[in-house]
Amino acid sequence: MAKRGIEKQLNILDYALSSLWRRRTKNLSILLVFSAVIFLVASFLMVSKALSDRAGQLLVAAPEITVQRMSAGRQEAIPLAHGERLQGIFGIRRVVPRVWGYYFDEVTGANFTVLGVDPLQMPGGDGLATALARGRLPEEGEAGMVVVGQGVVETLALENRQLFSLFRPDLSLKTLTVSGEFAKETGIMTADLLLMHPAEARDLFLIAPGFATDLCISVANSREIETIARKIAELLPDCRVLTRPQIQKTYQVVFGWRSGFASICLLSAVAAFIILAWDKASGLAPEERREIAILKVLGWETADVLAVRFWEACLVSGLAFLLGMLSAFAHVLFFSAFLFRPILLGWSVLAPGLSLVPALALGDFLLLAAFTVLPYLAATVIPAWRSATVPADSALGG
Amino acid sequence: MLIALENVCKIYNQGQANEVRALSGIDLSVEAGSMLCLKGPSGSGKSTLLAIIGCVFPPTSGRAAIAGKQLARLPDRFLTIHRRESIGFIFQKFNVLPELTVLENITLPLLPLGISPRERRQRAKTLMERLGIAHRENFPAGQISGGELQRVAIARALINRPPIILADEPTAHLDTPLSREFMAIMQQLQAEGKTIVIASHDPLVFEHPAIDRQVAIQDGRIHVP
Ligand SMILES: Nc1ncnc2c1ncn2[C@@H]1O[C@H](COP(=O)(O)OP(=O)(O)OP(=O)(O)O)[C@@H](O)[C@H]1O
Ligand SMILES: [Mg+2]
Repeated sequence: MAKRGIEKQLNILDYALSSLWRRRTKNLSILLVFSAVIFLVASFLMVSKALSDRAGQLLVAAPEITVQRMSAGRQEAIPLAHGERLQGIFGIRRVVPRVWGYYFDEVTGANFTVLGVDPLQMPGGDGLATALARGRLPEEGEAGMVVVGQGVVETLALENRQLFSLFRPDLSLKTLTVSGEFAKETGIMTADLLLMHPAEARDLFLIAPGFATDLCISVANSREIETIARKIAELLPDCRVLTRPQIQKTYQVVFGWRSGFASICLLSAVAAFIILAWDKASGLAPEERREIAILKVLGWETADVLAVRFWEACLVSGLAFLLGMLSAFAHVLFFSAFLFRPILLGWSVLAPGLSLVPALALGDFLLLAAFTVLPYLAATVIPAWRSATVPADSALGG
Repeated sequence: MLIALENVCKIYNQGQANEVRALSGIDLSVEAGSMLCLKGPSGSGKSTLLAIIGCVFPPTSGRAAIAGKQLARLPDRFLTIHRRESIGFIFQKFNVLPELTVLENITLPLLPLGISPRERRQRAKTLMERLGIAHRENFPAGQISGGELQRVAIARALINRPPIILADEPTAHLDTPLSREFMAIMQQLQAEGKTIVIASHDPLVFEHPAIDRQVAIQDGRIHVP
C-alpha cells in the first residue's frame, strides 16, 4: 500500500516534469526571473555579512580609546606631553602615540593609509610579524623603513623594487625602503597600509617632533573603558575621546543605513516577483482548465491535480534557488560583488582591492527561502486549488 | 443488476436563476454484459444520464447503484475512486490532450493508481496493438487522424480494465466506415463481458444488431412509445 503511494507520487512527479517541459518557454522565463531575484538578494546578504564580519575584525584591532586634539572643531596634532599627563589615571595600561593619516597619490589616484606607530607597542603588535608575507618589521632607529600592503605594492607597481618615493607636503621627496610586505589574507586591514615608525611618518607629513595625530590608549579592564574615557575628557578638555564601542555604533549606523536602503530596493524586487508569480499562476488559461477537467474525469483526485502543481512549483523554485545561490556565491567570491560595491562599500576607497569571503548565516538562508520559495509555492498552489476544484463534468461537453 | 437507477433526478444549478431540470424520474436497470443505447434529441439529457452512470456526479435525488455501490450522497472523492475502478468513459469530444503522446494519453488514468511506467506501457501496448494504433505510440495526439483519436479514446477507456464502458455520441465526428468499425470494436468488447452504454442519435449506432436494448429519452424522461 505504501509502495503504491510512493509509486503514485513518482508518477505524478513524472507528469509534472513532462508538463514543465511542454511549457518550457514560459517556465524558463519564470526560472530566470526567479533566479535573478534570488541572486540579487543572496548576493546582498552575503556581501553585507562578509562586510560586517570584516568590519568586526577591523574593530577588534582598533584601540580601545583614541584621544585626538581638537581646535575650532577640527582635528589637530596632539603633543606627546598630553600622554604623560594621563599616566596618573588608574586603569590605563599603555598610551601609544600614533601618526595616522592618508596619503593621496596624484599619479595613481590612490589613497594610502599611513600609520606611524612603534609596532611593538601597538595593541596586538606582537602578532603583526605573523601578518607579513615576507620581510620584517622596521626596527627602532632604522631610517626610511616601511612595511607595505599588497594594494600598495600593486598600485605603485613595486614588484621587486625596494625603494620608492613619496612627496612631502612641501613637494620635497621622501625616499622609503620596503622592509616587508603584509600577507594578502590580511587585505581588509593592510591592503592600502604603509606602516612605519612615528618618526618616519612625522617626516612624511612634516609634523613637528613631539607631536602625533592621536594617542591610542589601552586599558587594563575593558569594562572601564567608558569611565576612563570620561576621566581623560575631564583632564584634557581640548581633546576628543573616542571609544571602541562608540566607533562601532557609528559604523553600524552608517552601514545600517546603507544596507537598509539596499534592503528596501531588494524587497521591492521580491515583491514585484511575487506579484508576477501570482499573476502568472492565478490566471488559469482555458487549455489548463480543460486539462484539469480531463484529468479529473479520468479519475484524478483534486489532491492529485494539486500535487502536480506542487511538484512543478517545487522544481522551478528549487532550481531557481540553487541557480541564484550559486551565482550569488560566484558573484561575491570571484567577482567581488561588483554589482553592490557602489552601494555598500562607501568606505572601499580606504580599503581598495579587498576580497570578500561569501558567508551566509543559516538564519538568512532560511529567511531568503521563506521570502521567495514559499510565496512562489503559495502563488502557484493556491490558485491551483481553485482550478483543481473545476468540476469533472466540464470535460463532458455536449 | 450492474446498473440500477430508481427515480433519478438531476437538477443543474439548483436554487439559482439558471436552474435546469435535466432528468426526472428515471428508472433504468442494465444487466451485466449487455449493450444499451440511449437515444433522443439534443438536450434531452443523454449526457447527463451517462454522467450519473459514470459516477461523474451523483443524482440530485433518487437512488443509483453502479457496480454494487450506492452513489447518492457519496462524497466527491469516493465517487472519483469508484469511477476509476469501474468506469471507462469515451467522450464525445475525445478529450485527449493534444501535446501529450498517444501513449501518455492512454495511460493517464493509471497515474493516480500508482502503476509503474513499465506496467503502464505494457498494458497500453497490448491495447494499441489490438486497436491498430501501435505505430502512433509516440506521436503527439494532436497530430493523428480522427479515427485514430477515437481509438486512443477507446484504449484510454479500457486501460483500467473497467467492467462498464460508457460512450457519449461516439460517432459524431466519424464517417460511416469508421462508425461501423467503432461498433465492431464495441461488439468485441461486449463479447468479452463488458457492459456497454452508448448515448447516440445516430441510426448507425442504435440500429446496430449488437445493441440489446434501446432507451429513448425526451425532456429528461424515459419515453415509452
Ligand atoms: N453543466 C450544466 N449546467 C447547466 N445545464 C446543463 C449542464 N449540462 C447540461 N445542461 C442542460 O441539461 C439539459 C440536458 O443536457 P445533456 O447534455 O444531458 O443533453 P444531451 O441529450 O446530451 O444533448 P446533446 O445531444 O446535445 O449532447 C440541457 O438542457 C442542457 O442545457
Ligand atoms: Mg450530450
